[in-house]
Amino acid sequence: MANVLTDLQTSPATDANGSTHTGSLADANKYPYIWSPLQKTAFRIVFVFFIIMCIPGSASWYKTVFNIDWTHLHYRDLYDVARFNPIRIWTVRSESGRWGLASWSNWVAILGIAIVIGLIWGWVDNKRKSYNIAYYWLQAIVRYRAGIGIIGFGFTKLFPVQMPYPSISLLNNNFGDLTGHKVFWLSIGIVPWYQVFTGVVEVAAGAFLLFRKTTAFGAALLIGALASITVVNLGYDGGVHVYASYFVLLGSFVLAYYIPRVYRLLILKQDVTPIDIVPNFSEKWQRWLRIGIKSLLVFLFLIVLFYLQWMNYLYDPYKQPSSPGVKTLRGYYHVKEFKINDRIIPEDPTDTTRWQEVIFEKWSTLAYKQNRKVPLELSNGGGGPMKDINKTFEVSGVAGGRRVFHYLADTVNQVLYLQDKNIMTAKKKIHSRGGGDDIINPAYVVKDSSKFWIPIEALRNIGDENKTIHPRASSTRRNRVFGVGLVDEGRQKMILSYQTEDGGKRVYLRGINEDKDSIFVVLDRVDRKYAVSESTLSAGSY
Amino acid sequence: MSPASNQWSTTTQWLFRFFFIYFLLQVLPLDYKFYKDVFAIRLGAIYYGDIFRLAHYYPEFILSSPLYNWFLIVALSVIGAIVWSAIDKQAKEYAQLYYWLRVLLRYRLAFALTAYAFIKIFPLQSPFPTLSQLNTQYGEFTTWQLFSVSLGTAPLYQIFLGWVELVAAVLLLWRRTTAIGAFIVLLFTGNVLFSNLAYEGGEVGYSLFLVLLALVLFAYDAQRIFNVVVWGRKAIADRFLPIIKPQFKVWRWVLKGVFIFFILIFYGFKTYQGYKKNPHNIPIAKGLPDVAGVYNVAHFSINNDTLPYNSLDPIRWQQVVFEEWATLSIKSNRDVIIDSNNVEQVSPIDWDKKYESQGTIRRHFYAYTVDSIQQLLHLHNKNAHYPADTFTLHYARPDTNTIILQGRINNTDSIYTVLTKIPKKYLLIEGRRKPQTL
Repeated sequence: MANVLTDLQTSPATDANGSTHTGSLADANKYPYIWSPLQKTAFRIVFVFFIIMCIPGSASWYKTVFNIDWTHLHYRDLYDVARFNPIRIWTVRSESGRWGLASWSNWVAILGIAIVIGLIWGWVDNKRKSYNIAYYWLQAIVRYRAGIGIIGFGFTKLFPVQMPYPSISLLNNNFGDLTGHKVFWLSIGIVPWYQVFTGVVEVAAGAFLLFRKTTAFGAALLIGALASITVVNLGYDGGVHVYASYFVLLGSFVLAYYIPRVYRLLILKQDVTPIDIVPNFSEKWQRWLRIGIKSLLVFLFLIVLFYLQWMNYLYDPYKQPSSPGVKTLRGYYHVKEFKINDRIIPEDPTDTTRWQEVIFEKWSTLAYKQNRKVPLELSNGGGGPMKDINKTFEVSGVAGGRRVFHYLADTVNQVLYLQDKNIMTAKKKIHSRGGGDDIINPAYVVKDSSKFWIPIEALRNIGDENKTIHPRASSTRRNRVFGVGLVDEGRQKMILSYQTEDGGKRVYLRGINEDKDSIFVVLDRVDRKYAVSESTLSAGSY
Repeated sequence: MSPASNQWSTTTQWLFRFFFIYFLLQVLPLDYKFYKDVFAIRLGAIYYGDIFRLAHYYPEFILSSPLYNWFLIVALSVIGAIVWSAIDKQAKEYAQLYYWLRVLLRYRLAFALTAYAFIKIFPLQSPFPTLSQLNTQYGEFTTWQLFSVSLGTAPLYQIFLGWVELVAAVLLLWRRTTAIGAFIVLLFTGNVLFSNLAYEGGEVGYSLFLVLLALVLFAYDAQRIFNVVVWGRKAIADRFLPIIKPQFKVWRWVLKGVFIFFILIFYGFKTYQGYKKNPHNIPIAKGLPDVAGVYNVAHFSINNDTLPYNSLDPIRWQQVVFEEWATLSIKSNRDVIIDSNNVEQVSPIDWDKKYESQGTIRRHFYAYTVDSIQQLLHLHNKNAHYPADTFTLHYARPDTNTIILQGRINNTDSIYTVLTKIPKKYLLIEGRRKPQTL
């Protein structure tokens, strides 16, 4: 960029580097056309830092993205594209490294690398007078990274599935028997329209960041929303404080571009003529490329993702099981009678074997309460699981003796095949802590179906679990997970036959519990009243 | 409306007259109830709630309906604008008046924000959940109560929200930073407005009022800000100067100083004092010593008739919680008419502190006094729907984990109960940072 100042005599002008600036030039001397050595040094470091921050840094992201079937998408495919972290260089293995200040150590490491590279760059490139065009491109990269990232998040709120309305078993769980994370997530789950509002804010912030004129407001909204979410995650141990603050950082960098002019205008009370230096896309192909990339991103992340998330909301909600439960078995039940190995146990909240209440959700879940300690599943209950059994929001971060079982129902013989949704109680050595994608260890795949814990005939009656959702919500991603075949992760299991009277007002369960004891349970449905308002938007179809 | 240009259009003049009166009616303390609150303050014992109440002022000329009240204000403003227009035919512009209106709105808004800021900075608005609340099922709270109880579990978040409000309030105190402060209020209080709508809170109208104040203040600079950040056009800085007679100039600083002292320092100190000594949402009278905890009702008999445990029985007690302070709650399947309240009540008197008992079902809350000589508890139901529910029980403590309560609970029934303490650990307190088996 030779002799930039001469270019400022005409407007709009094109300088030697092929850039144009818009706006009047009366104020031009205030703009850093020629940068001070300190500004240049700082910029090089900042440039390297944010470039590293904006490049996906884990091999698994590339693997996921290259495996996407673009002809048969799931919302999670695009969500995974949008959600990534920079390369991990420094992890502190301590409580603070996971939950506190030290969890930002990786940023410090990236900054360290940026300083080294930035200084070397300065040594090589010491004749340069300014980095106006480089600044333009950095600003563009950062705002696109931030915009797409937050849109990925925003749609799971715009169609309220990130924070589900509490299941019946959660409604009946003591407040103190939940993690802080659960408490906050549920507090948004009970107000779906508010969740939609926060989703609109996030998607709007992201969309604003994709266009230069609306960038400043997009960045301001992003900072406001994500600063709040960062503190929420710190305050409630939500665990995603670093990723939330990542957007605050990106948003602050983007907004910083506008701060000098607003400062001069409002605080110093000077008239301001803003000058934006943008590359001069003089060639036709440059203009087409620009429009092409922009249109593709807008199409993918605002239109396609909108549709995919909508289908997800309707038929296969993110954190909520999607297969309908047995129609006659739904609601809150009082345990009228409970026998274990033919011994009657009277109602007593201190008894360690008796079930205190039984809940059949509208999806494929049976839950009960029992005064017995179990190792708890403390994940966020999120991830991208396709199988109902791995959708653990209803059990993660829940204590108080709550047991939550997924069931497959053989409705011909009226038998439920139940498995504990809490992976921590599984007898085999399980590496998962729950709340992630369906990680299927090949060792757990059962090739010979006659050796599976559910008889073949029952499996035939149960049918294909993959097909229990509407075809509009199907995807290659889901097909691949179910295509693995029969899986036995060594979870705790029960086999219970059921009999109903009066359309399910009275239910008899009998069979073998997870300890191989035989149980007999008589249940009476109770029309339970709650003080919290019912959900005004219901995800899924059951 | 550009105050720099000399002649305002007729429409602008009309709009200004209307809005000037409209906002004066809402901001100036014209409602006699304001003075009732003022005169109720005991100067020797000012409680932060006294100041909070003044800051929360909003005129209620028609008590029965907030909507009609608002219509009345609009109607008065229209009439006022017509009369004013008829009288004042020479006016070209109202730049000076517009300035003073903004001053008024800035301070009004800053006062309102500060009032809420300090009860969050010292987390008084949503205290950490009580033992009863920890043992209440999620669905047994109203939506609004869940909002507050949930906020109470994360003091860090509450304090953060308070600081955002305080920073916005401080920015409103200077003309040059007003637009930034107003923008923060638009985001923050805009969110409060939506929260009130979603959680069925009681401050929809009030938060909307605050958002409108912020909107007016932001609008003054909106055009120039848009010019530089959106359109990339030249923006002219604000060069307006109020005409103030030299002898009044000192008063500006005096008034500003008084405001800052009273609202930021004095009120801030008072809330801190309240936080330490008498928070408005937690009673301070001590309960029975060494009794706090959650108790299973192991035995329950009524008129010498023993009732087995049955979670559907409306008579038999299931669980009793003793707080550190003089409140106990009894869980049974007996109906509870919800004592609902969705606005902030800031009282220093224990009996008025209903936060622990409101917005919840299946649990009856009793404030009690102890007669330790005769070993009696005098109980009063805290729920406004049960004013007659008051009785006296004899207590005995055979060991540290057992309490026996007996006596008449109404004119006909006498009960005998044995309570055994449950050694309870809460996941909410234990946390998720380490593996837990609970």
